Amino acid sequence: MPAHISSKMSPAEVFAALREADGYFLCNNERDVSQSDFKNRLMPMTTVRVAPVRDQAGFFAVEVSGGASIHMDLMYKQVNPFERLRIVRQAMPNTRLMTVCRGANLFGYRHYPENVIRLTVREFAKLVDVWRVYDFLNHVPNMVPVFEEVQNAGRLLMPCLCFSTGKEHTDEYYVGKVGEILKVTGPDVIVSIKNFAGLGTPKRVTQLVEAIIKAFPGIILHYHGCNTDGNDIGRMTAAVLAGAKLCDVADHGYGAVYGQAPALTLIQNLRDYGKRAVGIKIRALLQSSDILRQERKIYEPFENPFRGHDPTVAHYKLTGGAVGTAYEQADRAGFLERMPEIFRELGHVQTELGNWWSVTPGSQILWTTAMNNVLFGRYERPSLDLQNLILGRYGPLPFYEPEDWIFEKVLEYQRTDGKTWQQILIEEKGLAQPPDVDLDQERTRLATRLGREVSDADLSLYLQFPFDALSYFQFEAKYGKTWLLPPEVWFRKGAFKAGERISFADEKGVPHSIEVISTLREWDNVITSQLVDHHYQTLSVRVEEERSTQAKK
Amino acid sequence: MDTGPRLEKILVANRGEIAVRIMRSAQELDLKVVAIYEETDKDAFHIMRADEAVCLGPGPRKDYLNIDKIIRAARETGAQAIHPGYGFLSENPDFPEACAQAGIVFIGPPPAVIRNMGSKVIARTIAREAGIPVIPASATLSRETAGEAEALAFAEEHGFPVMIKAVSGGGGRGIRQVTDEEGLLVGLKMSRSEAKIAFGNDEIYLEKGIPRPQHVEVQILADGFGTVVHLGTRNCSIQRRHQKLIEIAPAGLEPSFAADICEAAVRMARAAHYFSAGTVEFLVAPDNSFYFLEVNTRIQVEHTVTEVVTGIDIIREQLLIAQEEPISFSQDQVVERGYAIQVRINAEDPKNEFLASPGVVQVYQASAGHGVRLDGAIYQGYEIPPYYDSLMIKLTVSGFTWQEAVDRLHRALKGFLILGVKTTIPFFHQIVHDPDFIMRRLDTSYIDEHPQLLEYQEEERGVDKIARLIAEINAHEMNPFAFK
Repeated sequence: MPAHISSKMSPAEVFAALREADGYFLCNNERDVSQSDFKNRLMPMTTVRVAPVRDQAGFFAVEVSGGASIHMDLMYKQVNPFERLRIVRQAMPNTRLMTVCRGANLFGYRHYPENVIRLTVREFAKLVDVWRVYDFLNHVPNMVPVFEEVQNAGRLLMPCLCFSTGKEHTDEYYVGKVGEILKVTGPDVIVSIKNFAGLGTPKRVTQLVEAIIKAFPGIILHYHGCNTDGNDIGRMTAAVLAGAKLCDVADHGYGAVYGQAPALTLIQNLRDYGKRAVGIKIRALLQSSDILRQERKIYEPFENPFRGHDPTVAHYKLTGGAVGTAYEQADRAGFLERMPEIFRELGHVQTELGNWWSVTPGSQILWTTAMNNVLFGRYERPSLDLQNLILGRYGPLPFYEPEDWIFEKVLEYQRTDGKTWQQILIEEKGLAQPPDVDLDQERTRLATRLGREVSDADLSLYLQFPFDALSYFQFEAKYGKTWLLPPEVWFRKGAFKAGERISFADEKGVPHSIEVISTLREWDNVITSQLVDHHYQTLSVRVEEERSTQAKK
Repeated sequence: MDTGPRLEKILVANRGEIAVRIMRSAQELDLKVVAIYEETDKDAFHIMRADEAVCLGPGPRKDYLNIDKIIRAARETGAQAIHPGYGFLSENPDFPEACAQAGIVFIGPPPAVIRNMGSKVIARTIAREAGIPVIPASATLSRETAGEAEALAFAEEHGFPVMIKAVSGGGGRGIRQVTDEEGLLVGLKMSRSEAKIAFGNDEIYLEKGIPRPQHVEVQILADGFGTVVHLGTRNCSIQRRHQKLIEIAPAGLEPSFAADICEAAVRMARAAHYFSAGTVEFLVAPDNSFYFLEVNTRIQVEHTVTEVVTGIDIIREQLLIAQEEPISFSQDQVVERGYAIQVRINAEDPKNEFLASPGVVQVYQASAGHGVRLDGAIYQGYEIPPYYDSLMIKLTVSGFTWQEAVDRLHRALKGFLILGVKTTIPFFHQIVHDPDFIMRRLDTSYIDEHPQLLEYQEEERGVDKIARLIAEINAHEMNPFAFK
């Protein structure tokens, strides 16, 4: 048996090795930790700084892409998600890179046309080795185009079962769903239990894993949990002891609250049961966390204001990945103090709307509904996404439909045609299947706006996030590859002092420096004198808006 | 051998890179140099390189063309000689005449030679009499309808294309090619009008057009002792609207053919009673026939390529000749080694019709290294004024083989970092990658037939873009893109 499943092995060799392995494998879910505990702000250079030791740690894969990270890369980090993958690949040549994809919703929040899905997956599959793919309604047809493209690309496919709790969430239901998936994918996949909110007890996880393995002997199971309630070590331990071969973990020096539980804790726990983490180098794990503890200081402003674990997640069931953005949204809108109230309402809404899985984009729908219910009255401000959801646009609700009064409030909200909710249901219900877009036309449109040639990768970003991708491309043309800067500079608050020097290396390793010499503020115009690679330059920036705002204050 | 009075101080009646170039050779001969400048050019580099400087007046341009002021500056500073450089007054015969009247040595040919060579008709007559092939051409055309009739008759005899040329033209200016009768009649009026504006003389004549010619020229030196030598050939076929962009030495002709052209150039110089440095220009047809074009009675912009392949300092020789010394070498000693290529790095935007791009040179890092020669007149922080030539630096590279010279040009171009103004460097980058250039398939249609040379993306340095973000963070006191 190989001590470690090498990143150079083919999918068939990997599946065979996983089946034969006596032990379990760890996947580092840096992406989910960043999303859950640091509002998705982890910068590529932090990943690069820890990469040399992490590459030695022996992880089966490291998830550095997918989920909300693609959109957040474009919005708040101004880094090309493809470029980020290339950077990390270069920095960790011996480690598989993993992503999580929302099926027909790709890395966004709505169903995309099938040709957009296929284009996007083809492009990302050039850089991503392992694909976790889920649908928040566990509606398998929504995932099929992604499954096909991942397998066609020769990458490792990890179809997910979204897991939750409640009387509907039986072993029979989940076993049936695994069968449905395997019928589409064939047996050479890793099936992942996506316990997105860290729900259920270790005992419940044991039952589920055993039930699936019993129904499908030889199946390779992966467990993805979340440590919101502080008990995911228990669930992971249970999953591995019951037969799961892979688990998602975090570094103990970084996050491990709303994201995954720490790798080292799990290893220590399972060692007493005679289970070993295949290929893992403890020293490298320790060194990684030592580095990340230092980096964590940079991201402190993005940690959740309500620190600590929250066992009440069992009631509101919000995915760990959405907690950070929920707090951020509440903070910005000025209702942070009402979060406990909203979380209580979230649990009610969850039940009322069908007790399906509160993970993206469903989690955003549930969260917005609960927030609006608290702020404006129950179902008085239903969102368009909620309307689409109960109309079945995302797929059929798996267990039961909301009560009639909810249909009435939601579907008749702001209707100007006088149609009743029953009429609306009859006429408009059904899965959204947006028609294919004209890729050549869209490429030409983007190329015209950018004044340059457009790659398939560029196009895939633009088709998912038209506004934010365009803004990013324009930013990149003007400001360059700013992810090269130390993250502490990117998140800088406050002006630079005279003589302050910023040093960084470019992609080719060539060192550069920018030294701020002086700052001249003339009302709405700020002139910064700099030594750029030792050459003097002056740059003028208008700050009219902030100055006038300050003046008003 | 007798020599004339020793010069101790000269005035350089020019600006920019050629003024600096002349000063270097003069200072090597232990001569003091006086710079002149206009108020609008007071930050120019050549002033800093001179031993003395005289402000001629407010400028722009008119003071550099004011013979009286320049003569006065020479007298006041005690300069015994004046070097005119190129452009400005260098080919104005009134200037050497004024110098002579003032008892000042003019470092160049005598006025009569300049005057004769400045007249295309006289120059062609001298060439023809010396047995040098000339392009079939008309006499100076009569004005109005008589001139039209003469032109139509010429076209009928020699066929199209026909070149319309200004009698007083030069440097590629005042030339128009026409391909049919209608174009000829319209072109006559336009060329006459343009010649009047550009040269103060509306006289024009016609030449038979030579399709796809190479522009080949021969550097000559003639001293006061009747010695005339040539320094080999140059190929200046890469031109845009008759303005040279790249010059190469040697021209790359078959040796015996090159020898024929060089011998013709020497013969022309002798026939013209030439003195000092000059250039005899020819058109070479695809069938290796060649035709006399004109004589440039001054130092040329592209003289550097000849200096690099021969090792001869042409300016130094000019200075010595002006002191009535003989040329310091014999024809037998002139050997061309390898190849040299010169490109003119101008403050221009090639993608915008090569429009001048004056402004502040914010960053200037020069190229260097083996086989790289720079003749420049800019420095970091220099504000290129909008009034003068946009030439910033002449980059001349040499190689033992043509390919080595091309490789070196590529490398040397990459070695420049010039920020603040647009330059012709990206355009030359395109050229060094062009297969026709690499294979030396060069004629005067090269630029017109390679429009793709302008299809390039200008790459701004990554660090300069990032510096822009640092300025944003500094101005906003936070990163506005991280905290939206």
